[in-house]
Amino acid sequence: MSETAQSVDRRAGNRWVTRLKYRTRIAMREPTTLIGILMAALFSYLVVVPIVSILLDAVQTQFGDARRTGTEVGGWTGYYIHRTFLSPIAQDMFWQPLRNTLSVAFGAIAISVIVGGILAWLVSRTDMLARRWFATALIVPYMLPAWTFALAWTTLFKNRTVGGQQGWIEAMGFTPPDWLAYGQVPITIILALHYTPFIILLFGSALRRFDSQLEDSARMLGASRARISWSIILPLMKPALISAIVLIFAKCLGEFGVAYVLGLPVKFDVLATSLYRNLGSRQTGVAGVLAASIMILGIMTLLIDAYLVREARKFVTVGSKGSMNRLTNLRGLRLPATLFAAFIFFISVGLPVMTLFLSTVMHVPARFTWENFTLDYWIGTDLDTVALKNGILLTPELWKAAWNTLWIVGSASIVSGLLGLLVGYAVVRTPLRFLGTFLRQVTFFPYLVPGIAFAAAYLSLFAVPRGPIPALYGTMAILILALIADQMPYASRAGISAMMQLGKEPEEAAQVAGSGWFHRMTRIVVPIQKGSLVTGVLLPFISGIKGLSLFVVLAVPSTDVLTTYSLRLVDYNYTQAANAVVLIVAGLAYFGTLTAQKLTKTNLAEGLGG
Amino acid sequence: MPGIKLKNVKKSYGSYEAIHQLDLDVADGEFLCLLGPSGCGKTTTLRMIAGLENLSSGELAVGERIVDCPETATFIAPEKRGMGLVFQSYALWPHLTVEQNVEFGLKLRKFAKAARQQRTTEVMEALGIGAYSKRLPSQLSGGQQQRVALARMLAVNPDVLLLDEPLSNLDARLRLEMRAELKRIHTQFSTTIVFVTHDQWEAMTLADTIAVMNEGTLQQLGTPDDIYDRPANRFVAEFVGSPPINILDFENTGDLVQGAKKFLARRHSEISGVGSVGIRPESISLVAGQDGLSEGEFGAPARVAAILPTGGSWIIELETGGEVIFMNTHVAPAMREGDQMWFRVPTRALNVFDAKGNRIYAADQVLAAAAA
Repeated sequence: MSETAQSVDRRAGNRWVTRLKYRTRIAMREPTTLIGILMAALFSYLVVVPIVSILLDAVQTQFGDARRTGTEVGGWTGYYIHRTFLSPIAQDMFWQPLRNTLSVAFGAIAISVIVGGILAWLVSRTDMLARRWFATALIVPYMLPAWTFALAWTTLFKNRTVGGQQGWIEAMGFTPPDWLAYGQVPITIILALHYTPFIILLFGSALRRFDSQLEDSARMLGASRARISWSIILPLMKPALISAIVLIFAKCLGEFGVAYVLGLPVKFDVLATSLYRNLGSRQTGVAGVLAASIMILGIMTLLIDAYLVREARKFVTVGSKGSMNRLTNLRGLRLPATLFAAFIFFISVGLPVMTLFLSTVMHVPARFTWENFTLDYWIGTDLDTVALKNGILLTPELWKAAWNTLWIVGSASIVSGLLGLLVGYAVVRTPLRFLGTFLRQVTFFPYLVPGIAFAAAYLSLFAVPRGPIPALYGTMAILILALIADQMPYASRAGISAMMQLGKEPEEAAQVAGSGWFHRMTRIVVPIQKGSLVTGVLLPFISGIKGLSLFVVLAVPSTDVLTTYSLRLVDYNYTQAANAVVLIVAGLAYFGTLTAQKLTKTNLAEGLGG
Repeated sequence: MPGIKLKNVKKSYGSYEAIHQLDLDVADGEFLCLLGPSGCGKTTTLRMIAGLENLSSGELAVGERIVDCPETATFIAPEKRGMGLVFQSYALWPHLTVEQNVEFGLKLRKFAKAARQQRTTEVMEALGIGAYSKRLPSQLSGGQQQRVALARMLAVNPDVLLLDEPLSNLDARLRLEMRAELKRIHTQFSTTIVFVTHDQWEAMTLADTIAVMNEGTLQQLGTPDDIYDRPANRFVAEFVGSPPINILDFENTGDLVQGAKKFLARRHSEISGVGSVGIRPESISLVAGQDGLSEGEFGAPARVAAILPTGGSWIIELETGGEVIFMNTHVAPAMREGDQMWFRVPTRALNVFDAKGNRIYAADQVLAAAAA
């Protein structure tokens, strides 16, 4: 009796083993799963481990702090959390920067919603003059790095609070007060101008999709125009508006460059600059707490966004095929509206770029006489200065920085583009659903973490040797690795959507025809995905060129990229040289974006979606 | 040419069972159509045969070779099964020209260049796409793309051809041409073909054998005539045929149903357990009065409610004993709407189903004998 039971048991056990063997054979038949597992391991290391590392920094005693925390180095401690949130210096270190960050962010959001909302409506639903031209022109501020405007602002409004060359206004005989030259006001205005394109793009495209028939139905029922705007159009536009606002808020959280240039002279700190300061003064534990705070704020914001958008989408109707899009006749307001758009373009693009350019070709600020113009700052030699005796184009450091930019950003973009495609492939093809989900989430995670906090996390992990990995601080490797991880959200999303679009069938057709995995990859999948691979490399490359907050923490003079190089020049008060470098960066970013759009026939608006 | 054998095959995705238990035997050189509504498991079955999906349990053999069997942990990769597959979307490789698409499989099989070119040209000519050899798939019309997909598959002379609704994206005329083409290919190469479709006419015109599937189970396996004339259950009866079969459900209390019940009970008392009776629209005809009925025929008074011309044939809607039934005729109707007439049905045209909807096969012999 028991013998039969045993043999039944054994048979059941055998069957189970066979089943497992079969499953494994199916799962491992193709390298897809293996690739997925490798990718998951890689990104756990590039994304999860640095973040865990900085979170640990926040609660473990750091080197040199043992006496203060009363525990050994590496022991658990609440000291840093206490210091950041509750100690006497907490006001300066956390609470005031937090208030500043929030007030700047909300100010910028308020202005950009009003200005951008009006412009979006003008561009997409009215008969304003030169509508099409404005639709592109008003987006330009977003293509330029935000602190381009900060430098332009200082060039114009700088007063004697800081040294170096005079500001233009001061040179003309008026001294701008500190509140106008530095701090909250200029930072808010600049961020507002920089992020207005977000509203124009997201809100504008929602407005364009809006079906005029919905308006007409309300009108047929006797609703006034104001009533229609308030109770029909606005509620339906809410998801797009919320999305744009939350995106701007999330970007403001991590904003470093503008606050650094304009806030420092009057000690106006935001969270990002406070974090930078603490990193600079080797307050690793406190930096950990600050970075974690920024991360948590970022994650919360985007989770709230996801929730709100999901709620709001419930009642959104997508315009039907026959949707009509009638333009509002502005009549007498046509010219004033056009002038308003032109004015915004002038102050957000024309004026700053012009200022920066003129500042690099004039000896004395704001003196418009013929002999005052010079090309010395670009191509001069043996200049009468302490250092930087040659024009910027003849300075080897510039070319070094340009080469570094190309090499670091270029290699990171190519690698992340390829990895993105592989991630996309693994996510879409693997039969193991949890692996796909994990990959999707881990590669998206850096999106939730502002760049400067992410950079701090990298510093925390790679500043010292860990296991087989040597200390990477000061090498290009750390920049490339951090940049790859930072770009993965875009790269993997591009990869996943490209693979989704391709579908399984072309590959299956090859498979049935007798083609093995590697053959299919090289002959079918990659050639078909060539276009999206180019996009997946090009777009991160352009955003990488103008990126600052990730590099500023991780770069040292020998690994300077153009952005950090120009920031160093700002620190040394080489105004013309700094402006020239920023102009070069802005030019690269602008023409790069145009080229990318031409090449890939895509629109910037699509890449901004979420 | 090998046959295909599915034994006890089950397929589930998580807790959802797509194929419940499938036994199917495709003979060597047979043209089998898998017919059913969307979601019935026909494409899944085809993909399992191709190896693009694996079985959850059971056994799949091609010829003598078992290619998939979870119980023995056997799985032969799709690229090693030597089959040809045409997708509904054609799945042409967009970055390769027509010629490159067609010669892809030949290259894989290491054909010499000359032989490869000769074979490619030959197949392209045979399918009438030789003139487009240098074009990319995006520059072709739907019909041309479909031919390329076929050519790509045929170039390598596979033992088994699998086709997943390959004609559904074509316009009516092209579809007809391609059906003839497929039939020609089948006779010429005597290949084993498994063809998936939800279009009953396609299945009827092409197949030697039709397997009707619904909700993951095989409903009936038989010749086109079998399927049409002797549907195994109500699902098959109602799925095949247009205008659809008239069903007299014995749970209804209308005069016509009562009449039919009495008719069967009085003359064919040996048929028991009847749940419903199905009558094909074209087996119905109209006569002026009861005298027009032959001995033993089923009929009832009916009012002509509507006459719908469909071009060459007419669908006539009849109101009779609380039911609406449809008849189909190829003879121009002489009656008018509103006329009172009698309809008649020869006994051998009655499809008798039990309460569960399964055909009572015993009834067929009884009714046939009565007619003779």
